[in-house]
Amino acid sequence: MTIPFAESTPGQRIAEFTSSIITPQILQAYAEASGDSNPLHLDKSFAQKAGFDDVIVHGMLGMALLGRLLTAHFAPQDIRNFSARFVSTIPVGKQIHCYAEVAEQSPQGLLLNLYAQPLGSEKTAIRGQARISVLAPK
Amino acid sequence: MTTPTYIGYQHPVFQVEVTAQSLGDFNLAIAAAPEPGQEHLAPPTYMKVIEGEHGSSRAMLEALNIELRRVLHVEQSFEYFLPIRVGDVLEVVRSISDHYTKKDGTMEFLVIESRISRTDQQLVGCSEQILLLRNI
Repeated sequence: MTIPFAESTPGQRIAEFTSSIITPQILQAYAEASGDSNPLHLDKSFAQKAGFDDVIVHGMLGMALLGRLLTAHFAPQDIRNFSARFVSTIPVGKQIHCYAEVAEQSPQGLLLNLYAQPLGSEKTAIRGQARISVLAPK
Repeated sequence: MTTPTYIGYQHPVFQVEVTAQSLGDFNLAIAAAPEPGQEHLAPPTYMKVIEGEHGSSRAMLEALNIELRRVLHVEQSFEYFLPIRVGDVLEVVRSISDHYTKKDGTMEFLVIESRISRTDQQLVGCSEQILLLRNI
């Protein structure tokens, strides 16, 4: 999306995308690349013993997708902070819709609210926030 | 009997070198396509990869005798002071900064704080990870 950030208003959605289907292969690749080999994300029988129907998506993979909303529009060095609450787990096999809304705008920069929601679900799985130090997009 | 507190537990300090291979693999895994000229800069959640190197998260849980299947990652935050770049050698300090219960002790939480610095001691960033320890 190409909305000029200087003209954005609180509540306005300024960026969004929908991921591909998060397959077990993607979870495996994320585990290898990130070093997070928790079997909750890789081993169905372990996940079932832990109380889930199947493996679940790494919360940090979901947060990394939200991070793509940031790096698609801002230089990495302009991101001051970034936080996320993993409100509900994301089952494997879903696409994830990620979007960013303006929470607050000041001369110092932008505060964004970020959301990740599995397609077909009513519930937001990850709620995030990020502060960007400058208004000029890269 | 009081519940033992893990506050103050510190994982041994370790160093990590940021390589183009590791960064490239991570970008591929999250389907990120850095802009030309930005490939040497880490995306925002890569700090978690740095702090988790050498299986440090699992080692901390094992040292505290916490079963992995009880653990759910419920919150994560990062503060950025300097960009993380290919070639950086970073020092990681991780400790348990808080340990508390909610809802009459039925929900137990652990907070792991990480501080990441360059070898010249310049602080690159900090993070905080909150884990829910479920009673299963």
